[in-house]
Amino acid sequence: MPFLQHFCDVLYQSNFGTMLRESNNAFSVIESVHVLSITLLVGTIAVLDLRMLGLILRSVSVSRLARSVLPLSWSGFAVSVASGFLLFWAEAAKMYINPSFRAKLVLLVLAGFNALVFHTTIYRRAQEWGTLQVCPMRARVNAIASLTLWSGVIIAGRAIAYF
Amino acid sequence: MKARLVLALALAVSGTAIPAHAHHSFAAEFDINQPVRLMGKVTRIEWSNPHTYFYIDVTDASGKITNWAIEGPSPGALSRRAWQKGDLKVGDTVVVEGYRAKNGTNTANGRRVTLPDGRKLYGGSPGDGGPGDDGTDQGNLPATGTNK
Repeated sequence: MPFLQHFCDVLYQSNFGTMLRESNNAFSVIESVHVLSITLLVGTIAVLDLRMLGLILRSVSVSRLARSVLPLSWSGFAVSVASGFLLFWAEAAKMYINPSFRAKLVLLVLAGFNALVFHTTIYRRAQEWGTLQVCPMRARVNAIASLTLWSGVIIAGRAIAYF
Repeated sequence: MKARLVLALALAVSGTAIPAHAHHSFAAEFDINQPVRLMGKVTRIEWSNPHTYFYIDVTDASGKITNWAIEGPSPGALSRRAWQKGDLKVGDTVVVEGYRAKNGTNTANGRRVTLPDGRKLYGGSPGDGGPGDDGTDQGNLPATGTNK
């Protein structure tokens, strides 16, 4: 058995995983926390992306907007990862073979890579271009990639239940 | 122009979140035109979120045994209608009235399950859009002609 599959089986069979899976209420409460944290994460990221595309808040500089929304994005990310891991724990053995769950993980990695590119290159020089009403091409391409990938993560996550 | 574009984007983004209220609907997986009535011996039970499953061996007239997967709602939804974990055990014989999965596998949505103690329980998810989704204890199965 591949290591990852074995790992998923151990999580699935564990007392805690079984308790979550068989719970009357805990599972659905965690699902709600997961959805709420995703709205915080993707909602705040979308605000920054839409600003870079010149669609909203044109008079606010990108650096200033990023400073106010990014802490919220990180909070949303932390809670969504934690709640998502609990949901995964409850159903790990099934998630291992779920094509939509696999697609979601791939999209998450791509969205993370896109964010990494933004923070290590484009955003570094935001002082130079951040006050432009419509941002340079590479910032706009990064924003469109971000909106697309995060939408994909949500669509794939929602589709897990249908496989 | 700008406002219109923003509206279009908002609609596009919100559209991705619409199905979030139900885990999945009856129609997404099951075919209302394929009612089934199965009697069989329970081989396995998954008392599991977000959907419970149990599996039964059904013997047909020629003696051939087929294993069917019966999908139900979450443990919480079943508990609220007094169907607790342990009410169904491996080896029990049950009668399942429901609908077959669209994908043609031996999977069915158990709209009404007759437990070994004679209780007939609604095994669907209330409000999932399937037949008799009013959540009454008996389950209402208009398409199978078995409703009381």
